[in-house]
Amino acid sequence: MMTALVTLVVGVTVGYLGQRSRMCFVGGIRDFILVRDRYLLRGLIAFGLTAWIAFPAAAAIGGAGVGPFGTPDLVTMVLTGCGGFGVGYISTLANGCPFRQHVLAAQGVVSSGTYLAGFFAGAVIFHLWVAPLLLRVLP
Amino acid sequence: MATVVDSIAPAHSGRTRVRVTATTTGIVAGLLAVIAGSFFDVRPPDAYGLCMACHARDLVDWTVNAAAGTRLTVAPASLVFPVLTPIGVLLGALLAARTSGEFRWQHPEHPLKTFLYGVVVMNCALLAGGCSIRLLLRTAAGETLGIVGFGALAVGVVLATRWLQWRAAR
Repeated sequence: MMTALVTLVVGVTVGYLGQRSRMCFVGGIRDFILVRDRYLLRGLIAFGLTAWIAFPAAAAIGGAGVGPFGTPDLVTMVLTGCGGFGVGYISTLANGCPFRQHVLAAQGVVSSGTYLAGFFAGAVIFHLWVAPLLLRVLP
Repeated sequence: MATVVDSIAPAHSGRTRVRVTATTTGIVAGLLAVIAGSFFDVRPPDAYGLCMACHARDLVDWTVNAAAGTRLTVAPASLVFPVLTPIGVLLGALLAARTSGEFRWQHPEHPLKTFLYGVVVMNCALLAGGCSIRLLLRTAAGETLGIVGFGALAVGVVLATRWLQWRAAR
């Protein structure tokens, strides 16, 4: 229950800030390539740097640490690479990362609403059909 | 482009228009993601404090499991009660859009195409173990798979942007 409450508060905060700042986690790289605009890219870098500093800082003051992660096998690395590439490529075509699509849907953009319908349906599709198929095909 | 659409949205006077930069959002989101994971048990897995794909998967699968008695996968963090990040983000963004006068219905040109984009992005994200946010979070946590996933994501964005440029130039 605590987890649900905390993620709700985090979601509302980040959603509010995300709407006010037009934050997008693929838009930074896209805008930099297209028009050399660094506004969203700075947000992306700020997020990464903050988390990079905050993980060890949280562990130092008594929070749960992360890792050790171990060495992944080649198949997992290839799947992660393919998945990551797909997220980047299709999110750029779709005009924003999943976070941005949530924000746009909440401010009335109906195409982002249909994107979210597909996004939520995709979770069920993945676990009902895609994951079992991959488990059968892959070594 | 979304940014262009946003910038031409009409300004409404008499509304609360709080200005926030992307850098501020990045810092606050990064802090909250780590705090949620390290101090409030939004884990396991590690670096799970903020993710739009995994958290949406947990919420949808948990709800379907509860309603239909299925056994779709949810992360250990969401076994008892699901994470509510997607609902929170929708509520927060709705609040911001309403108070700033930026809420405006805009109807889609290709609803089926955007629906399919959503399906594909969710499937790719679950394959990679995170959306763009969590891949960066895992990278920041020092996980090799996170670095591979985020690197591949950056390559995907670059190639898609180049392809959009090429298509626009034709």
